[in-house]
Amino acid sequence: MNKNFSWFNLTSITFGFAFLYIPILLLVIFSFNESKLVTVWAGWSTKWYSALLENQALKDAAWVTIRVGLVSATVSTVLGTLAAITLVRMGRFPGRTLFSGMIFAPLVMPEVIIGLSLLLLFVAMGFDRGFWTITMAHITFTMCYAAVVVQARLQDFDKSVEEAAMDLGATPINTFFQVTLPIIAPSVISAWLLSFTLSLDDLVISSFATGPGATTLPMKIYSQVRLGVTPEINAISTILIGIVTIGLLLAAYVTKRQTERSERERRKAFGAAG
Amino acid sequence: MGVVTARDPQASNASSQRAGPRTAAPQSGFAPWKNPSLSPIVRFEGITKRFDDFVAVNDVTLDIYEKEFFALLGPSGCGKSTLLRMLAGFERPTQGKTIVAGQDITDLPPYQRPVNMMFQSYALFPHMTVEGNIGFGLRQEGMPKNLIAERVDEAMGMLELRQFAKRKPNQLSGGQQQRVALARAIAKKPRIVLLDEPLGALDKKLRQQAQFELMRIQETTGTTFIIVTHDQEEAMTVASRIAVMEKGVLVQVATPGDIYENPKTRYIAGFIGDVNVFEGTVSAIGDGCIEISAKDGYQFKTRSSEPVSVGQQVWLALRPEKIRIAHEQPASAVNAIPGKVEDIGYLGSISHYHVRTAPGERITALRANAAHTVERPISWEDGVWLDWPVDAGVVLTG
Repeated sequence: MNKNFSWFNLTSITFGFAFLYIPILLLVIFSFNESKLVTVWAGWSTKWYSALLENQALKDAAWVTIRVGLVSATVSTVLGTLAAITLVRMGRFPGRTLFSGMIFAPLVMPEVIIGLSLLLLFVAMGFDRGFWTITMAHITFTMCYAAVVVQARLQDFDKSVEEAAMDLGATPINTFFQVTLPIIAPSVISAWLLSFTLSLDDLVISSFATGPGATTLPMKIYSQVRLGVTPEINAISTILIGIVTIGLLLAAYVTKRQTERSERERRKAFGAAG
Repeated sequence: MGVVTARDPQASNASSQRAGPRTAAPQSGFAPWKNPSLSPIVRFEGITKRFDDFVAVNDVTLDIYEKEFFALLGPSGCGKSTLLRMLAGFERPTQGKTIVAGQDITDLPPYQRPVNMMFQSYALFPHMTVEGNIGFGLRQEGMPKNLIAERVDEAMGMLELRQFAKRKPNQLSGGQQQRVALARAIAKKPRIVLLDEPLGALDKKLRQQAQFELMRIQETTGTTFIIVTHDQEEAMTVASRIAVMEKGVLVQVATPGDIYENPKTRYIAGFIGDVNVFEGTVSAIGDGCIEISAKDGYQFKTRSSEPVSVGQQVWLALRPEKIRIAHEQPASAVNAIPGKVEDIGYLGSISHYHVRTAPGERITALRANAAHTVERPISWEDGVWLDWPVDAGVVLTG
């Protein structure tokens, strides 16, 4: 046994992970339960998954969620990137502090308040609540996360690279698309993924902004749970967990391969340079 | 400081000799700044740059001529980089005009200026190959692909980069990256190439190689190079003329030899090479020479190109290699002072002797180790005499 791994460390890790993951594990296991009762085990079955496929309401909710996620993640990534560029590259301008404060406020603002104020706005403006109001609400609160992610990358990238592009005759627009964007692309992609995930599992803000015919999956699950947990809920949750896990593993794999490749190339380069 | 500055005399000789062959007419030497019929390729007209209260560049007027290798020299924060960045278009002067080839470019954005810059950090595009980096500027012009490939290949050939064409910048060593940055700056064949501390990241040996490479590229392309550096040795080696800046002000603009031999102020004398400075007042003027009563009691006789008056405070600057050092008192020396050897810096080809005089002044003298022996004729604690002729020193008034 590794001498750095004392019994104390091992025990705390075991308990820590158990605390975090046993509930999820139970949920996954019970999604394969034969019985209709969530707490009684009656053998393996995948019948709740097939039941899921026939549940039109759940399928509709899933479809709404995905569409909201795609649209809001894309829009908020574009806006967040623009905001980040303004904050990092434009230097000091009048109202900069106010601007950055207003962009990052939703990070710490209670969701209930964001949801409520958006609802009041939509009502005041006479918007029909539904798909587009949910999407707009999601854009508002995911944009600040996108801005934070992109801003972090922009801050540690050498400004003179952009200056070099302009010095070589690239207009600001060309500089952005040929130099800045390719360099910050990984952070833009993670900003998109983060926004998408946040939109996917948002419940509070969606509940405020929603209208008839636009129920997202978390809202659907929540309303069903209030009537009692069915194994169907376990099944859909398991699918969600599966999607998130696969996404995470994929992202980790891509990142790892990229680091390994550049590391290998660097070693080769220095070997050749002697 | 001693080790670095020990090369100065050689460095200045090398560059002043080199100025000859690079010109078309060898007899006249390369000195377009002396030719009133030539108009400068770059003209700074009363350029001032303020950042809030801080004056980075203060009323600089400067002409730079075609095919010059011009150095802006000064310590960090003296405004030399700001001046260069204003020429590239990254900063706008608070006052004044920048004129390139007769055209006022003060208000032009960087991407419309006929200058290309090599950055201190190289600023290579990390997502492009070496080829892609070098061809970037040409692609912006919308040049046909086959022409771009030709020009990129030419630039890569000039800097021996062909075998790295498909590599990304992070797969290159520092020296290779530096060459890519230079190739990219010359690929568009600009009239002026700006170099912002281009060799700052290289180690000393590589830096000297790169200096000669810069000179070779500058000569073969016939481009005007303007380099910013804080390394006086580098400026002496590469430049046709040097502008020394201090606190945003241009202190002296001259050839390396002129700057070394006739520095305008004590600051320049001390910044470029080693120097001994005696403070004193003018006690007599006559027969082309002046007499100086030094603060510590000595009387010196020296030539002066500066107009001075009796009683004026002056400084006599003496380069170490102009001071003779000997055991015996020289018979007919005009200026001679006794002292005791405190330290010897042996550098192989030459030795530095640090001599303490009776009033406590420390003077550095230089002597070439011409004899093939390890025995040193002058040793520690020896009583010695230092002497120099009337034309060895420079009289400074500021």
